[in-house]
Amino acid sequence: MNSPQDPLDAMLDTLHASTPAQPESVQQEVWRRIAHGDQTASDACVPWWHRLEAAFSRPAFAATFVAACLLLGLFLAEVRLTRAQAERTAALEQSYLRLVDPLFRESDTHRVQPAVHRP
Amino acid sequence: MKRTSLILALGLGAGVAGHVVWFNTQQAAPVGSLDTQLAWMQTDLGLQPDQFARIKALHERLEPRLLQLSAEVERLRAEFASFERARVEAGEVDFLEVARAAAESRSLGRECDASTTQLVSEATREMTPEQRKRYLEILAPALEDAGHSRAF
Repeated sequence: MNSPQDPLDAMLDTLHASTPAQPESVQQEVWRRIAHGDQTASDACVPWWHRLEAAFSRPAFAATFVAACLLLGLFLAEVRLTRAQAERTAALEQSYLRLVDPLFRESDTHRVQPAVHRP
Repeated sequence: MKRTSLILALGLGAGVAGHVVWFNTQQAAPVGSLDTQLAWMQTDLGLQPDQFARIKALHERLEPRLLQLSAEVERLRAEFASFERARVEAGEVDFLEVARAAAESRSLGRECDASTTQLVSEATREMTPEQRKRYLEILAPALEDAGHSRAF
């Protein structure tokens, strides 16, 4: 039925020649991928403290953690200092007002505004 | 686990130590003394060293009188409070004593106003217009009542 020189045969031969040989069978490849998936899933189930221990076992991560804690402490100290400075400025104004004007009462202090710092 | 605990403790210790040391070294002196108040004024108003020296000398000269007046004011306020307590609790009013205290308070009020006016006018004389404006803004809560009869 087919002619001996069917062009489709030639194309199939070319495709077969250009396709590299598969190292394993499809079945082996499927099982390999399933095993890899199981391995990934078991990594995700590791408790957080084990992951923490693994992270802290790296010296660079441990040093970064300590440095970050130090910086956080300094940042919180600055926040407290800024607030303390504003309160101190208001207290200084009230204290000076009490010195300048002996009749100045504590109850008048609600009118005192903290100093506006000019650039 | 031991290593993890050690690193966590080290991080916590570093954070707390950094916080405490930085906060304590940067914290300013208490506000009570005249020197602290004058240092704050110098910074806030941008006083030059010669201005600051003159204003400091002025404050140091007038401070004893102002503190004495302040003590007198406190004494009279306590006296008025005791009159009020006696009126509320016992229903008694010693009108002669109240009249004497009221007269004393008026006299003291005038003295306070005069001392305040003297300090403020002499201090502002040493300042530039901008410094004077800022200084009077700071004093506004006290000055807006000065010159009027003020309650103890």
